[in-house]
Amino acid sequence: MIRFVGRRVLELAIVFVGVTFIIYVMVFTLPGDPIAALGRDRPLPEAVQAQLRAQYHLDEPVWLQYLRYVGGLFAGDLGTGFDGRPVGDRMAARWPVTITLALTAWAIEVVIGVLLGLVTGLRNGGLLDRTVLVGTILATSIPVFVLGVTAQLVFGLQLGWFPIAGTSAGWPSAYLLPAIVIALFGLASVTRLMRGSVVDTMRSDFVRTLTAKGMPRRNIVGVHVMRNSVAPVLTFLAIDLGYLLGGTVVIEAIFNLPGIGALLFDAIKTHEGPTVVGVATALILIFLATSVLVDLVNSLLDPRIRHE
Amino acid sequence: MRRKQRTATAGVLLVAAMALTACATGGSDTADDGTRAITMGVTDPGTLTPGRQLVAYDFNMAVWAPLTFLESDGTLNYVQAESVESEDNITWTITLKDGWTFHDGTPVTAQSYVDSWNTVAYGPNAFENSGQVANIVGYTDLNPAEGEPTATEMSGLTVVDDSTFTVELIGPDSQFPLQVSQAQTAMYPMPESAFDDLDAYNTHPVGNGPFELQDDYVENEPLVVTAFEDYAGDEPTTDQITFVPYTDDTTAYTDVQAGNLDIASVPASRLPQADEEFGDAFYSFEAPGISYLGLPLWDERYQDVRVRQAISMAIDRETINDVIYGGAYTPATAFTPAIEPGTPEGICGELCEYDPEAAKALLDEAGGFEGSMEIYFPGGGGLDEFYNAIANNLRQNLGVDATAVPSADWAEFSDKRTASDIDGPFFSRWGALYPSQQATLRPFFVENGGCANCIPWYDESVKAAIDTADATDPGDGSAYADVQDLILEEFPAPPLFFETYSYVTSDAISDLATSPVGNPRLTHVELAD
Repeated sequence: MIRFVGRRVLELAIVFVGVTFIIYVMVFTLPGDPIAALGRDRPLPEAVQAQLRAQYHLDEPVWLQYLRYVGGLFAGDLGTGFDGRPVGDRMAARWPVTITLALTAWAIEVVIGVLLGLVTGLRNGGLLDRTVLVGTILATSIPVFVLGVTAQLVFGLQLGWFPIAGTSAGWPSAYLLPAIVIALFGLASVTRLMRGSVVDTMRSDFVRTLTAKGMPRRNIVGVHVMRNSVAPVLTFLAIDLGYLLGGTVVIEAIFNLPGIGALLFDAIKTHEGPTVVGVATALILIFLATSVLVDLVNSLLDPRIRHE
Repeated sequence: MRRKQRTATAGVLLVAAMALTACATGGSDTADDGTRAITMGVTDPGTLTPGRQLVAYDFNMAVWAPLTFLESDGTLNYVQAESVESEDNITWTITLKDGWTFHDGTPVTAQSYVDSWNTVAYGPNAFENSGQVANIVGYTDLNPAEGEPTATEMSGLTVVDDSTFTVELIGPDSQFPLQVSQAQTAMYPMPESAFDDLDAYNTHPVGNGPFELQDDYVENEPLVVTAFEDYAGDEPTTDQITFVPYTDDTTAYTDVQAGNLDIASVPASRLPQADEEFGDAFYSFEAPGISYLGLPLWDERYQDVRVRQAISMAIDRETINDVIYGGAYTPATAFTPAIEPGTPEGICGELCEYDPEAAKALLDEAGGFEGSMEIYFPGGGGLDEFYNAIANNLRQNLGVDATAVPSADWAEFSDKRTASDIDGPFFSRWGALYPSQQATLRPFFVENGGCANCIPWYDESVKAAIDTADATDPGDGSAYADVQDLILEEFPAPPLFFETYSYVTSDAISDLATSPVGNPRLTHVELAD
């Protein structure tokens, strides 16, 4: 186990260096000069542009910029954006919004998804099962953008149940609607994964044996079936949490939530290398961390999985 | 086995609990205590300092008072200035009104202005709006194109006494009083405390205007300004304005519909329906903005003036305006926006009118058009429909193989245009900050005038004519008519639309006023009872 963890951490370090460098170079080679575009259709005076380029070291070769950036990282400095604000501060201000949104959505996926999956799995072929099946197909096939705008217009504007935008209403009301919208996609997957898993487990030999032994159905399902069916779902849920933390750009924009996704989107638009690399690196670290965690949890849940 | 199951459940519960506690702060509602408060949707400003801000005009116009204010009826009012006068249009004497203070209680003096303008001009400060003071003598010493600055104070600025200072310009310019009007934010004064720590000032700017900022600026948090008790000018109609940042202006628009926000600008995608959805609460303010279809004059296919004229006559401005902009714009009939005084409306004549047959005939007469025509515009800004419509016009009416091609983003577009690396017609627009023909003609037609290659035609005679008009204009813009005649002769690019800036308001507002710069006048918002 220690060797396993050690190997994963080493991999993590290599991925980290590789990814930050690649992203830095990619942002650097995006066509167009970010400083010239700062003022958009009212360009800044040439002398100001030159001054800003020097200030942000954009006049240096990319490898020097990268070394400077990594050097700063070790000193705890994530760099500055083109308006002079430290990237670290900007990210710190935005993580709470994204984390709140992601965890709310995730909690919805976990609770409702696992429950629905369990119920439909036990009553497979019934009316509820079919209804949920149709529902999940719909949920996965409608683009999140369409869902978001529609939900905003129906539940926010016409019914007035939720605020349309911003975080000022606080949790939960400001986060619930966007969370439901982004949860729907994952929810559908969780439900169907869980359902399939439960159906398989219910047909397995040990369940038949337990039933034959006279164990109450409640115990069979609640303890044995649950535990055996949840492993594949857990893998999905963990990866999905990583996705939720980084993949909510569209929803953050529609609902005006100043989260990390919106920051990344803005930074890509303005070619702010340090911000893009900072956010992307954080997201990659989250993905890597969750994947290590999944492996560990899986091996705990299922002793047959060994990491040599 | 049983125990492990419980840990799994506990894990799920723990996560749910984390979600519950990780919540943000609660909302705040005002207005119940009789405070006249309004909210306005904005783009998160990033920088607030007048000499630096790029998208915080509304905030700036609320927190600072300009020297002069141009009213909608064209009269120039004096706000912080008592007078702005000159004998020769070169040396201007600005006298300030007595008794005005900054929000920190310090008096607004001639020295405040001189120090502020020097700070804006000083190269190493890299103030984004330093171009606004570039016509003052000594600017190039502080902000040389190459090398280090040789001075920290512009020699053209002289403090006469506490309330008087003089400004020497590099050439005669009759439009100077307009250059210190409401939207030229770099000309606003800053208090002495600003100069010690410009970064701190940017987080909490202190102005001399009707509203003062309450708390420090925090990225993506609403900015609250309240009426400044000791403001020496006209009292605003509201006590408090909250500027709420929105990532997507469509969301702000929807929020006004729901009544959660009082004022928002209308995104282009909502213009066709805004009138229907808002009725009287939809405002389209005439603005000093104009769009052209830039033409690549470095390409020989566009050398014949008849080709350029044919392109202009093949564009159905009326229909495009009705369908894409809900009729909010005005088809251009001159080379500067109609709101700029003295603009010879109609000077473009039949060249700006839709006449597909005449256009085709003219193009054939010029020998036709070889090859394909790719209209290049900045992508991601909601301009696709507009340029597709123009491409359709040109394809159908001129038989040219025209398509509209977006760039990846603004940076890519501006790079290519600045480098003349475009071989088709392209996006070209300018929004002036003060309504004078000078403020539109210079950026477009003078090299380094501001809009690089917007219209890549820099003619000595046009520049000379603009200089003459600057020196001699009696104040009604009539002197610029000669410039427009010269441009018409060469017809370097078809003007497309005089722009309007559009806003919608909630039920809380009964009337939204404006000024000739096209922004809402936040000091004069009328609230519904």
